Amino acid sequence: MLEPSLDLYGEAAERVEGLLVDLLTQSRARYALLIDRQGFVILHCRAAWAPKPPSLDSLATLIASNHSANEAIAQLFGEASFRETVQQSDGVGTYVESVGDKALLVTVFDASAPLGKVKLFTKRALERIQAVLDETREAAPMADIGGSFSVHAGALLDELFGDGKTP
Amino acid sequence: MSTINFAAREINFKLVYYGPGLSGKTTNLKQIHAHVPVESKGEMVSLQTEDERTLFFDFLPLDLGKVNGFKTRFHLYTVPGQVFYNASRRLILRGVDGVVFVADSAPNRLRANAESLRNLRENLAEHGLSLGDLPYVIQVNKRDLPDALPVDMIRAVLDPDGGAPLFEAVAQQHVGVIEPLKAVSKLVLEKLAQRA
Ligand SMILES: Nc1nc2c(ncn2[C@@H]2O[C@H](COP(=O)(O)OP(=O)(O)OP(=O)(O)O)[C@@H](O)[C@H]2O)c(=O)[nH]1
Ligand SMILES: [Mg+2]
Repeated sequence: MLEPSLDLYGEAAERVEGLLVDLLTQSRARYALLIDRQGFVILHCRAAWAPKPPSLDSLATLIASNHSANEAIAQLFGEASFRETVQQSDGVGTYVESVGDKALLVTVFDASAPLGKVKLFTKRALERIQAVLDETREAAPMADIGGSFSVHAGALLDELFGDGKTP
Repeated sequence: MSTINFAAREINFKLVYYGPGLSGKTTNLKQIHAHVPVESKGEMVSLQTEDERTLFFDFLPLDLGKVNGFKTRFHLYTVPGQVFYNASRRLILRGVDGVVFVADSAPNRLRANAESLRNLRENLAEHGLSLGDLPYVIQVNKRDLPDALPVDMIRAVLDPDGGAPLFEAVAQQHVGVIEPLKAVSKLVLEKLAQRA
C-alpha cells in the first residue's frame, strides 16, 4: 500500500490551493508551496506578477533537507525544533512553517513583501490549511495502482533505460 | 515509503546511493544525468565541499512518465561517504524506498566498504527500517583499477548470503551505471505491487 504524502485530494486540495492563492494576495509574496518532508511538491502557487520560479524540485528538496538539518540541530540541544525558519537575502527570502509532522508550508517573497506580513499571513494560512486537513481526516481513496501499475511502470523503465546495458 | 500525491496525481520514489567516501556515488548521478534524455530529468543539485566531496547530498529527479494516470518519479540522492558526516547520512535516509550500495574495488577500501554497510544498517534501524525489507542492490565500482579486488571477495564481505543483485561497474566511464539503477527501480515497483 502506498502512503499518501498527505490526505489531500479533490475538493480539499482545491480549498488548500485557494488558501495558497489568498496567502500570496495578502502577503504580496511570490510563491507559496506545500511540500512534504521528503522534499516532494504537493501543491504550489505563483503570484501572477512573479517571475518564473526556479526548479521547484530543487527548491523543495533543498527546503525539506535544510529543514530536517535545522531540526537535527535543535535536537542536539534537546529541543524538538526551531520555532522559526526564515532566510533572507537582499533580493529574496523564504519562510517555512511545519504543517503537522508530514508537510511544510513555504512562502517565497522579495523586497515588495514585508517580512511581518509574510509571517502573519503564512501563519494564518497554516491554521486554515490545518483546519481543512483536520476536516478531511477520513482515509484517502486507495487508487488502483497495484499489479498493473508495476507492469506499466516497468515497461516505461525499459523504455527510458533501454535493456539496461551500457551502450 | 513511496509517497502518493493525490492532489497532483503523482507517485514518488526515493532512491539513495550509499557507500564509503570516494567510492563513486556522485559519479553515478553525474553519469545518469548525462545520459538520460532531457525530458526525463530535472536539474541536478550538488551540495559539496570545495574539493568536490559531497557535504550533504546530491539530488537528481527522474521522470518516468504517466502510469495509470499517475505521474511517476524517482528522486535519486547520494549520501556523503566521509565517516564524520553521519548526521547527514541519517537525514538523507528518511523515507528511502531503495538503496544502491556503491562499493570500491580498491584493496585498501575493503574495510571502508564493510564499515559503510554496517553504518547503513545502523542508520536504517534509526528509521525503523532494515536492509532485508528494502529493495537493495550492490554496485562494485572501479573495476578498472589495476589492483581491483576479485568481485567474489567483495561480495563475501558485503553480502555473504548472495541475496542482493550485484553489478560490476566503471562508473567514470558509464559502465555498469544504468543496470543497478534499473534493477533497484524494478525491485521498488515489485514491492509496491506486492503491498497493493
Ligand atoms: N578509477 C576509477 N575512478 C572512479 C570511478 N568512478 C569514480 N571514480 C573517481 O573516484 C573519485 C570519487 O568519486 P565521487 O563520485 O566523487 O565519490 P563519492 O562516493 O561521491 O565520494 P563522497 O562524496 O566523498 O562520498 C573521483 O575522482 C572519480 O572520478 C571508476 O569507475 N574508476
Ligand atoms: Mg559524493
